[in-house]
Amino acid sequence: MTAAALDTLWDAILPGDPARGLPPASQAGVSEVVAAHGLGEDAARLLVRSEAVARERFGTGFDALTPADRVTCVERARRADMRGLTPVLVAALRAYYTDPVVLRAMGAGTVPPFPEGNALNDDDWTLLEPVYERGSIVRPVPKEKGSP
Amino acid sequence: MDPVDVVIVGSGASGAAAAWRLSRDRSLRIVCLERGGPPDPARYPATRADWEMARHGAASPFPGERADPADYPVDDSASPIAIAHVNAFGGSTLLYSGHVPRFHPSDFRTRTLDGVGEDWPLTHEDLTPYFAENERMMGVAGLVGDPANPDYDSLLPPVPLGPMGRRLGEAFNALGWHWWPSYGAINTRSHGGRAACINLGPCNTGCAQGAKGSVDVTYWPEALRQGVEVRTGCAVVEVLLDGRDRASGVRYIDAEGREQVQTAAVVVLACSGIGTPRLLLHSTSTAFPDGLLNDTGLVGRNLMLHPLGYTEGLFDEDLGSSIGPQGCCLLSQQFYETDPDRGFARGYTMHILRGPPPGETAVTGYLMRRIPLGPDHHRRMAETFNHTAGIAVIAEDLPDPDNRVALDPDHTDAHGMPGVRVTYTLGENTKRMLAHGLDRSKDVFAAAGAKVTAAFAPVRQTGWHLMGTARMGTDPRTSVVNAFGQAHTVPNLFIVDSSVFVTAGAVNPVATAQALTLRMCDHLPDVARRAAA
Ligand SMILES: Cc1cc2nc3c(=O)[nH]c(=O)nc-3n(C[C@H](O)[C@H](O)[C@H](O)COP(=O)(O)OP(=O)(O)OC[C@H]3O[C@@H](n4cnc5c(N)ncnc54)[C@H](O)[C@@H]3O)c2cc1C
Ligand code: SF4
Repeated sequence: MTAAALDTLWDAILPGDPARGLPPASQAGVSEVVAAHGLGEDAARLLVRSEAVARERFGTGFDALTPADRVTCVERARRADMRGLTPVLVAALRAYYTDPVVLRAMGAGTVPPFPEGNALNDDDWTLLEPVYERGSIVRPVPKEKGSP
Repeated sequence: MDPVDVVIVGSGASGAAAAWRLSRDRSLRIVCLERGGPPDPARYPATRADWEMARHGAASPFPGERADPADYPVDDSASPIAIAHVNAFGGSTLLYSGHVPRFHPSDFRTRTLDGVGEDWPLTHEDLTPYFAENERMMGVAGLVGDPANPDYDSLLPPVPLGPMGRRLGEAFNALGWHWWPSYGAINTRSHGGRAACINLGPCNTGCAQGAKGSVDVTYWPEALRQGVEVRTGCAVVEVLLDGRDRASGVRYIDAEGREQVQTAAVVVLACSGIGTPRLLLHSTSTAFPDGLLNDTGLVGRNLMLHPLGYTEGLFDEDLGSSIGPQGCCLLSQQFYETDPDRGFARGYTMHILRGPPPGETAVTGYLMRRIPLGPDHHRRMAETFNHTAGIAVIAEDLPDPDNRVALDPDHTDAHGMPGVRVTYTLGENTKRMLAHGLDRSKDVFAAAGAKVTAAFAPVRQTGWHLMGTARMGTDPRTSVVNAFGQAHTVPNLFIVDSSVFVTAGAVNPVATAQALTLRMCDHLPDVARRAAA
């Protein structure tokens, strides 16, 4: 299984979105993170199965398909082996959203390692006026003889 | 090992509070044995961009996912709720959310008030000074003046609501329902020598900033200064008895795998609501053939877990909802107390959760078929991330002896000690309560102008609160320990964690558990002295 073939798979499920400044998965280190988490073989298996679906259903190779049809193949492959192939897709999604470029582009706040934090504005607690006004909602409890 | 005055087993929420309180008497020689290792905040997942991946690996709260050699096997296949906990110096507080409201006065009198559960052998008033002391030690943020919790005197400034919290506050106002900013063990300004929270979000993988009040950074530094000796990597396998049915110490396996005995005048157990019954059940003797203190068969029974209902709302606008401590925003206790018209006894807290981080948003959205793979992924992701909020219904489950922790001889830990098997079934009262909670959560989202995208209960991965498995009481036939945590049948053995809870309340347990621990340890030297006389 070549790295380029796997990249085709990752880019099918997570293509870039230039308008939002989001890179495709192949440029966001997805392959490396998935492999580092011990799921490289599962990734290869997912590609082989997706390729098989492509030939069976569309009569052509996976990389010759339109982006939408590639996703159809991946989803069909997964549905045929939910337990075996869902984890690698989940890992690929998580991996993509650990890439600092992706996180920054989507406005995810400050990105680790965290030298800075995120700001949250001070609250205006007059919002609680109605709650104060309704008064205590503590349930009375009969007085005790005294506890040990 | 040289004999000590007190050996504490477990260094989590309660073990730490016990160590600190007892070591204020500098004349006591105190050792704490902890099966896990020390945390290393400099290497917490949130110091790396891939921190979200670690939530399902080394930083997972589920022992099965974590595969840490300090863990013991937990078979929760006979429970709809999976058990979450941490075996390390600091215990489960390392990964907890730090949401620390107090129990209500009625929680201690459920039998008298509602004819369910049992009354506790103490009252809310008995705990009031200890709640306050604990909040000072843990660094608790919140707002004084809550009509549902009027007893607070002083707190750090509240954790900011953020735009999502404000929107939900307005929704509660529109419905005429109680809400209040969270009580969070989160430093909203520097406190106790620790920095302020900078709203990063990943509190549940450990706070590298030190702003979250986990006990490794609150109680422990002071307890260590006061002279407590901690031995990590030391798994206690048995509480030992002398010939007179008094505890003489504990047998443990040290970090090098050697068997050791620590003799002690007093043994204090704080191994959590599953670790404590496990250790007791494994400590058999002629006097206690079915496990220590288990002459009544109560050890391990009455497990309560706070079954959780979850509703997610999706807003049209980007409310930056993922920014801030995820588990601390605001709560509502409108439905905390019993109302017979609702068809169930007792009640629940609605606990607002901030939106999930990007990876979790993408994965959940994908698995729930809301965020597709492929060409439309980014558009749908942009419409979801930072646009959601969750309402967790924390339901009070009633004690039921059939809900229990037992030893699991088929699965053992690294030292050959059996793991635990958890059996738990949702009661009818709880089911009705959860259904009510989900409906009311939908009302809140409707009033907030959000679309409900998920609503279900119980949520499996939420067995964080482990209570009731060695309960306290005045009658030795129906309880394991008294109001001071002292075992009825072994007077120099104390249990100070949430195993002793009689009922579950409807809020996260740590504030109440630690207040109880402080009270028990305040009295412990006297109680132990009287027992020895
Ligand atoms: C993800 C998560 C989120 C949570 N969020 C909240 C929250 O927001 N608010 C709240 O109130 N609660 C929360 N909780 C629950 C809270 O963390 C626990 O209720 C609390 O930590 C229990 O305290 P404890 O001392 O009883 O047990 P723990 O804190 O679990 O500590 C027990 C310690 O005993 C050690 N131990 C066990 N057996 C042995 C043995 N045989 N020998 C030596 N050592 C042993 C363990 O290694 C562990 O360190 C959360 C829990 C989790 C996992
Ligand atoms: S949100 Fe605050 S408390 Fe939570 S991890 Fe970040 S800095 Fe720590």
